[in-house]
Amino acid sequence: MNKNTRVIVQGITGREGSFHTQQMLKYGTKIVAGVTPGKGGTQVNSVPVYDTVKDAMKEHEADASIIFVPARYAVDAIYEAVDAGIKLIVTITEHIPVLDMARSIKYARARGARIIGPNCPGIIAPEESLVGILPARAFKKGKIGIVSRSGTLTYEVSELLKNSGMGQSTVIGIGGDPIIGTSTLEVAKMFDQDPETEKIVVIGEIGGTMEERLAEAYKRGEIKKPVIAYIAGMTAPREKRMGHAGAVVYMGMGTFESKIRAFKEAGIPVANTPYDIPKLLLS
Amino acid sequence: MKLYEYEGKSLFKRVGIPVPNGVVTSEPIRWQGKAVVKSQLLEGARGKRGLVRVTEDVYNTILELKKLGVEKFLVEEFVPHEKEFYASVLLDRETAEPMLVLSREGGIDVEQAKDVKKMIIPLERGVRSYDIVEAEKYLGVKGLGQIIQGLYKLFVDYDAELVEINPLALTNDGRILALDSKVILEDNALYRHEDLLKELGRQEVRDSYVELEGDIGIIGNGAGLTMASMDLVKLNGGNPANFLDVGGGASREHVKESVIKVGSNPRVKKIVINIYGGITRCDEVALGIVDALKEVKKPIFVRLLGTNEELGKKILRENGVNVYDDVLKMIGDAVRS
Repeated sequence: MNKNTRVIVQGITGREGSFHTQQMLKYGTKIVAGVTPGKGGTQVNSVPVYDTVKDAMKEHEADASIIFVPARYAVDAIYEAVDAGIKLIVTITEHIPVLDMARSIKYARARGARIIGPNCPGIIAPEESLVGILPARAFKKGKIGIVSRSGTLTYEVSELLKNSGMGQSTVIGIGGDPIIGTSTLEVAKMFDQDPETEKIVVIGEIGGTMEERLAEAYKRGEIKKPVIAYIAGMTAPREKRMGHAGAVVYMGMGTFESKIRAFKEAGIPVANTPYDIPKLLLS
Repeated sequence: MKLYEYEGKSLFKRVGIPVPNGVVTSEPIRWQGKAVVKSQLLEGARGKRGLVRVTEDVYNTILELKKLGVEKFLVEEFVPHEKEFYASVLLDRETAEPMLVLSREGGIDVEQAKDVKKMIIPLERGVRSYDIVEAEKYLGVKGLGQIIQGLYKLFVDYDAELVEINPLALTNDGRILALDSKVILEDNALYRHEDLLKELGRQEVRDSYVELEGDIGIIGNGAGLTMASMDLVKLNGGNPANFLDVGGGASREHVKESVIKVGSNPRVKKIVINIYGGITRCDEVALGIVDALKEVKKPIFVRLLGTNEELGKKILRENGVNVYDDVLKMIGDAVRS
């Protein structure tokens, strides 16, 4: 993703959709069209609105879509974007039922489309393009790639890096749900290939085994660049959902301890707190 | 949404999973012969806490349990059995497919079980005959068809997060019965099951409040930041009393209610609030905190950053609230105070 990425906003006329369209435009993102069924022919912040993604695609070329559609209709919006041929679908919406996501992610993959999210803050390439809801103030162009399961922690850590004189190449919030379109490992591999990125920060949480899989891949040499990790939820009790659907430990899978152990065995330094991350990056 | 055991068992019956004969009651009842009286609570470890009792005297057992504050009971026939197993269906996050989990050790904490079999059963195909053969071979019993089909059907049709039978018993007369039920429905999909909620007399509640054991209340915005704050309290030698994520774009009213909720817990001695405002506006947060302080007379330590932070800090300072820029200092001060 870069400054030339052309973006469609699905749910552009809603409260979040219209506000963040304005923020993204201000950041320099190329938003070519918006979609809200029944609002075709209108405009939001001078962006033309269409009834369907297909209609929008007749008039504009787009590489990516960002979804602000309410949870009950968001899965339809994902299928619609895939069917219209969009290859990158950033789903901000939270509270989408997990089985719906499981099916739509499989559908998108089979058709060569990538979903980021759901329940995610999106992507930012600092000083180039923002496809998401990340607050611009936390970011500065630089050489660190960040991949994170948590929205606010992403902002927090980015701001810490900025204050320590480090910037970010690209920051991706992949979302906190149990089933998400793009995993920590997939993003880390992209960072590994990206000439703009020198080091990778992984922000994880309890639940699931994505972080463990990244650690194994690192150990096998599939990621060559230095990785620093942090995991939230050291003190979280088991089988309790911590704030969002993904941060829950069932059957003892994806505990804080198992993630830390995996990172340590792979030789990845682990920060005790988010505030230790800059120090580890500089050392 | 976690279901009560008796609610889970009513769903079991619907999909053909056999359960013992029983009745739900909130008052003492007369019962012929040996029975199991099971307190209906949503918390686990009822057995260890003496809230499940095998008795010949149901009437007085219920009276005793009522004195402990239990309000609802499931009274079931006592079923002599020779073996106990474990069976559940949940989502495998790696493959994004439902997973059947079986164990030859039942009645235990499955996390501790050494003998566990996991079978991925993809959504496109559902349970097939060969899955059942494989499961029956592993457990060494026959007649699992309805049970596995039923667990899977509940998981998919009711958007469950977890459907668990523990223990699943092989009775002395060769039947297979679900002696317990644990069903957790996915909150995000409850809108599709309004009929079921109405039937159970339950209401959809979204709550991100989690109770812990310590004495420092924890509030943050965003699950990750809130968890990190909770962990930091612990790393600094304190003990978190709870976890409350106010979520994105929290209003003054919501912040006020959240602080009151955390502050009114008698174990909470002080409250730590960590906010990075993106969608959330710091002035709204500050006003909510100030409103809550009229009712909550406990020390509050706040770190505010992000959207409208200057305004938010000003509001807090004018009302005598400790407001910080530095999280580590804020948490350090809170723990030591």
